[in-house]
This record gives sequence, C-alpha cells and structure tokens, in this order.
Amino acid sequence: MQERTRYINYNVLKEKEHWDDHTREIVLKRLGPFIEYKFLSEHETKMILAIAEHIVYDERKEILLYVVHNLDNTLASPIGENQRKVGIPEHKILVRQGLKAVDKFAQKQYGVSFLEINKQQQLSVLTALSKGEAMQMEWQSIPQKELFKKLATEIVSAYYSHPTVWSEIGYGGPAYPRGYVRVETGLTDPWEAKRDANEA
Amino acid sequence: MPTKHDFVQHNCDHYDGNRYDHLDKRKYGEEADICIVGAGAAGGVLAYELSQAGFKVVVIEAGPFWNPQTDFASDELSMHSLAWNDTRLVAGNNPLAMGHNNSGRGVGGGTVHFTGVFYRFHESDFQLRTMDGVADDWPITYKDLEPYYEKIEKDIAVSGPKHFPWGPFQGPYPYPEREPISANSELFRRGCEKLGIRSAVAPLAILSAPFDGRPPCINRGFCNQGCLPNAKFSTLIHYIPKAIGHGAEVLSDCMVTQVVVDKSGRVTGVTFIHDDKEYFQKAKITIISAFCIETPRLLLHSACPMFPNGLANSSGMVGKALMTHTGHDIYAKFHDEVRIYKGTPVMAVSQEFYETDKSRGFVKGYTLNAHGSRPLGLAKNLVSKADIWGEKLYDIMRDYNFYAQITMVGEVLPDNNNSVTLSNEKDEYGIPRPIITFSYGENDNKLIVHGVQKANEILEATGGKPAFVIPDTGHLMGTCRMGNNSSTSVVDGFCRSHDIPNLYICSAAVFVTSGGCNPTETVMAIAARTADYIIEEAKKDGQYGMRKTSSMT
Ligand SMILES: Cc1cc2nc3c(=O)[nH]c(=O)nc-3n(C[C@H](O)[C@H](O)[C@H](O)COP(=O)(O)OP(=O)(O)OC[C@H]3O[C@@H](n4cnc5c(N)ncnc54)[C@H](O)[C@@H]3O)c2cc1C
Ligand code: SF4
Repeated sequence: MQERTRYINYNVLKEKEHWDDHTREIVLKRLGPFIEYKFLSEHETKMILAIAEHIVYDERKEILLYVVHNLDNTLASPIGENQRKVGIPEHKILVRQGLKAVDKFAQKQYGVSFLEINKQQQLSVLTALSKGEAMQMEWQSIPQKELFKKLATEIVSAYYSHPTVWSEIGYGGPAYPRGYVRVETGLTDPWEAKRDANEA
Repeated sequence: MPTKHDFVQHNCDHYDGNRYDHLDKRKYGEEADICIVGAGAAGGVLAYELSQAGFKVVVIEAGPFWNPQTDFASDELSMHSLAWNDTRLVAGNNPLAMGHNNSGRGVGGGTVHFTGVFYRFHESDFQLRTMDGVADDWPITYKDLEPYYEKIEKDIAVSGPKHFPWGPFQGPYPYPEREPISANSELFRRGCEKLGIRSAVAPLAILSAPFDGRPPCINRGFCNQGCLPNAKFSTLIHYIPKAIGHGAEVLSDCMVTQVVVDKSGRVTGVTFIHDDKEYFQKAKITIISAFCIETPRLLLHSACPMFPNGLANSSGMVGKALMTHTGHDIYAKFHDEVRIYKGTPVMAVSQEFYETDKSRGFVKGYTLNAHGSRPLGLAKNLVSKADIWGEKLYDIMRDYNFYAQITMVGEVLPDNNNSVTLSNEKDEYGIPRPIITFSYGENDNKLIVHGVQKANEILEATGGKPAFVIPDTGHLMGTCRMGNNSSTSVVDGFCRSHDIPNLYICSAAVFVTSGGCNPTETVMAIAARTADYIIEEAKKDGQYGMRKTSSMT
C-alpha cells in the first residue's frame, strides 16, 4: 500500500502565522468544532458521510465531518446554486429526495438500507448512480446523475479545502502576505512541501 | 491599500465599504446625467471617462463594494462569494456552468476575480463574414478600437513582452514582461520551442513593477480569488475610485429590477432594490453594463405596452447569439514536480493557431495559455466536468504537484439558438430566472479537437505524459450584439440601442463574434469608445447638463 502522501514531514498549518488574519480564520474553522446541523437530519448526515468516503476515497472522520458540515451549510444558505438544469429540482429537494431514493434503491437491490450494505455494495450503488444506470421507479422524479454530481461536487470542493489534505498533496496553501519568491522549475521556497528522500 | 480617500466622503458608498445610510438623500437623487447599471469591466471604464468629462454619473451595482484587505482571502472555497451565485437555469446539449468561472458580482464585476490575461483582438476578429463567410462582421474594425486599446494599456500599466508575435499590435507593452515565469509556463515555452511553435510571455493586467501606489505581483497565485496586494488590476481598485474622485456616485448592494420608459418611448431611469426597499433613479441617459445574462434578462423583463417584447428588442435579438469560449483544460503528468499552484496562473501563451487555416477543416482558431490551478479548482472540475471521482480522483490529486496544464481559449461561433430567455420561475425580487441554452456547433467541435491535440503535443515535447482533458468553458459574450442593421442587431457601433435613443448597452453583451482570446481588454476598449461618443454627442447638441464642460478635453 502506498503512503497517502509524498510529503510525510510537511504540515501546511505550521505556516499559519504567515497567513493574513482573514484567511487564517477561515481555514482554521475547518478543523472544528462544528456548529449544529441546520438542514440535514441525522440519518442524512450519516448517509453523506458514507457517500463522501467513496467519492474522495478517504475514511477519516475528522476531515469528512467538515465535508458534511460544509454541505449542510450550503443547503441551509439562501445563496443560489449558480446553475440548475431545466427540469431538475432545487438542490434542497434534490438532495433530500435523492437520499431517500438511494435508500429505497439499496432496499430493493439488497434488502437493507444504504448504510447497512457493505462498502463494496455501496460503491456499486454510487457507480450506478453516476452513470444513470440505477433503473428504478423512484428515479423518475429524481435525476440520479444530477444528484450524484451535486453531492460529489460539493463533497470534493470541501475535501480539497481541508488543510490536512493540502499538506498531503504538497500544496503551499495560503500565500499572503509573503507570496512566492522561487517559482521556476525545480525551485521551492524554504517553507514549501519537500518530498521525503526515500519517497518513490 | 484602501487608505482614506477623502473624495469618497461625498458618496453613499465608501471605499472602505461603509455605507452612508441615506439612499433617500442620494447625490444625484433628483436626476443624474448618466446612470450605469453594473460596475464591472465596462461599467467601471464608463464611470471613469464620463465623470471625468463632467457628467453627473451614478453607478448602480447589485453586489457589494469589496474591500480587498478585509474581504478577500487566499482561499478558493470562501472566495466563491465573488461570483454571481444566483440560480440560473441551464439547457442545451452543452449546458454552461455558471458562477465563479464566468460571472462576477460586486463593484469590479468579473475583473475582481479574472485571471488578468489581457489581449487585443486581431483585425480578423471583426470581419468573420468578409474573411471566412461565416457569422457576421462587426460594425467597427480593429482601427476603431486601436486608440482605446492603447489608452487602456497605458491607464493600467499592462505588463507584457517587448515583442508580441501575433496580431496587429506587436508590443512593446507599457510595463516590462513578468519575470521570472512559473515552472508551468517555462515547460510550455520549452515545449513550444521544440516544436517550432512561437510562444511569448503573456500580456497581463498585473503589475511587473510599482504603479499608481500599487505594488508588483508577489506570485501568490490567487488571482481568481481576488488580489489581496492589489497588484492585479480591477475596476474596483482602479477606475471606480478614480470615478468617485471625479464626482461619480456608486450605489452598491442595489439590484436593478426594471428599466423604465415614458410615453414618448425614452428611458427615464431604473428602479432598484436595496434592503427590500424599492427606489427609482432618474437619469437622462441609461447604460446597461450588466454582462451577458443579466443585461438581456433586464431588457426582456422590462417589457411594457410600447415595447411588449422587451426593450431594445425590435430585432428580436435581445438574448440571442450567446457565446462562450471553449476553455478546455489539458493536463499532462511529468516525472518531476511542476507545482501549478505557484505564480500568476497564466504567464506564457501562444497564438500560433489563432487565424483561419483552411487546411484544418474549420474557421478561426484559438489561444493556448499555460495555466495554473489550485487544488479545489482542479478536483472540482475533475468530478463535475470530467466524471472522475473515487480512487481515480485520489490518485490524480496525490500527484497534484506533478501535473502541468494548458488551457485553450477557443473561438465559438454565434448561433441564435444559444440564448438567454425568461423562465416561469421567479427569484426573490420577483424577476423571472433566466434560461441559458447552449450547444456547441460543428466548427466549435472541430476546433476543440485540434486545440486539445496541439496542447498535448506541446506537453509531450518536454516529457509530459498526456493525462486527462477537462471540457471547460470560459468567458461569456453576446446576447445584445452590435450592428448597423437595426433588424438584426440590438445596438449600433457606439453601443446605442437602435430602438431607444437614450438607452445604451455596453459590456461583453455587445460582442458580435467571440474572437479566439480572452475578451476583457476589448470590453474595456469598447466602453472607452462609447464614453467618447457620448461626450461628443453631448458637446454637439448641448442637451446634457454638464457641470464642468471646461474640463473636457
Ligand atoms: C474566473 C474568471 C477568469 C477570467 N479571466 C479572464 C482573463 O484572464 N482575461 C480576460 O480578458 N477575461 C477574463 N475573464 C472575463 C472577464 O471577467 C469578463 O470578460 C468581464 O468582466 C466582462 O465585463 P462586463 O463589464 O461585460 O461584465 P462584468 O464585469 O461581469 O460586470 C457586470 C456587473 O453588473 C452587475 N449587475 C448585473 N446585473 C445587475 C443588476 N440587475 N443590477 C445591478 N448590477 C448588476 C454585476 O454584479 C457585475 O458587477 C474572466 C472571468 C472570470 C469569472
Ligand atoms: S498572483 Fe499576483 S496578481 Fe495574482 S493574486 Fe497574487 S499577487 Fe495578485
């Protein structure tokens, strides 16, 4: 099994004193504690947590909880959805009804709800959704591909905004006020991620 | 730095973002000479030029008056707030992603989070009908815009190469080119060189040396999140404060909901909503600079008995011929780290495939920009536009630092079926949500295939392994196009509507064709020319009450 990261000794948070106040405040909030859910029910949060594990291929609760909270925030907020395809329900309805449909689908397919099927089965449910191949009655009112895309996009956006994930992929993170001095090929500023000498 | 600017004291809005809470006691509450709807790329330039000429100018902007120091952050997720996030309905074979990638909201509009790549159009861009027998010619030529391109480049100190190899303007730019360039841009230039493709350092509305009290770029790479040090130009930090200095009033957080017409068929002003309360702004001339979706939406929604199909729409062209650019992102993986998060996203370009080459089987062409990305941008595009998720997404992102990226900015031909229309669904202001319909045409698709292949060849030439392509779009243009014929266009060559003499429409909405490169310098040049025209017309008939005619030059 390969390491999650090529940058074992790097932690972007060590640099937080060099970030501007506004950015630091925003990023540190992602580490929790989180306020109560405003939109999602307990069952829904569990389902999204389970779905997120598959979408971002990561099981760490401390990161995924932030992901779920971020989605809850988005769904509770009055700010618009940027775009919605003609004929697709509003995202609050799409997600709420969609999760119900996922449960029904699992029930029909495996006899139990989505949270009770095993990981492999969950993955195949999600794969079917992403391809629009989960053929059941309930999908006639819930467009499955759109549901999948909505959830996946929100989940991925939050996940790749988490400082732990930034550290793992070797991303420099916030860079104001100091900016980057060495931008050319092969050069890095002293505080950027360095690969481990033994790393493949 | 947003230090104290005394001149803004006279304003409802303050440069630091504090509002004087008396919209009932507006500076030009009785009547303004000119009301500009939208403080974006075009609105900012118009406000500056017209207030400098002595007009009483009021700018009404739906979004906030940002303070870069306290409102911007080096963070992708939170800075989605800079976009026009309102829900818009999308349709067609290639429904457009709306929001952060193409629309701004707030003083500065799209320029607040644009990438700063700053090109002039080529001569051929104005003459597609004549040269290639497709689309339409513009009613203006490159020559008409040339002095305005030049003026704007000087006004904001565009940085760029001494020699730019393509198009009618080959440099030198007012400020030196950016140096050094990022690894991603270096790879791009080396790849081009190996293949005998000319490349150049990108012309940028980003400072390479101090200018006008602003510092040069520090390469933090967050141009699309708003520039914290103010090294990148935006109308928020450049033209709007200067316009305020010349007496313009800026009303932010004010959504214009209706353009009002009197019995004689002239526009009297606009209604707008602030904090749930409706106000009316009277003006002698109204200019709609609300970009490509909100402009036609407002005009269609303002239909009245005299203009039942919407204002300025006797041609039926309001909302038609919406264009975007193909913005395909082409990625290759390298053996060594590239680190595309560092530096201004675009620092190297090639326009070698810009002009029509009949042997390729399609008309017109594209620009290739070496392009950086931050993690959220890449991961989100992978899942939402390339259907990559799960283990595959994780694998790519684990090696995030090893990818290089090229983005193509490809010309899309106008098509009346690509449009903005009104739906039955209403927003919180009671205005129907727009439906945005878009499908690529045959020429567009051929052009994309060509561009993707060229980008991959360039990446391969320096040892990259082509990895994936994200079918993206960028920039919007059209929906109120200009033309000499009032039955096939909405405004004339000076952005004056054919139907209503004191209604102007001036923004990317008036584009006739999309060109093969980033459009904002052209948006701004058109705005500066429109301002000049309004000034000249006013001088001629003296009908607009100008406060200080003597200061006009
Ligand atoms: C992420 C991104 C990157 C980009 N990169 C580049 C680049 O590198 N180079 C380039 O040339 N171009 C780039 N662009 C495109 C550029 O931003 C646009 O071309 C330009 O901003 C269009 O100018 P405009 O004046 O037509 O509209 P905008 O700048 O969008 O301004 C319109 C304004 O009108 C306001 N408005 C709308 N409706 C109303 C209403 N009803 N009432 C009041 N106000 C209203 C909006 O809030 C907005 O502020 C980029 C855009 C984005 C989003
Ligand atoms: S890269 Fe330069 S221009 Fe862009 S945000 Fe950073 S400092 Fe501003």
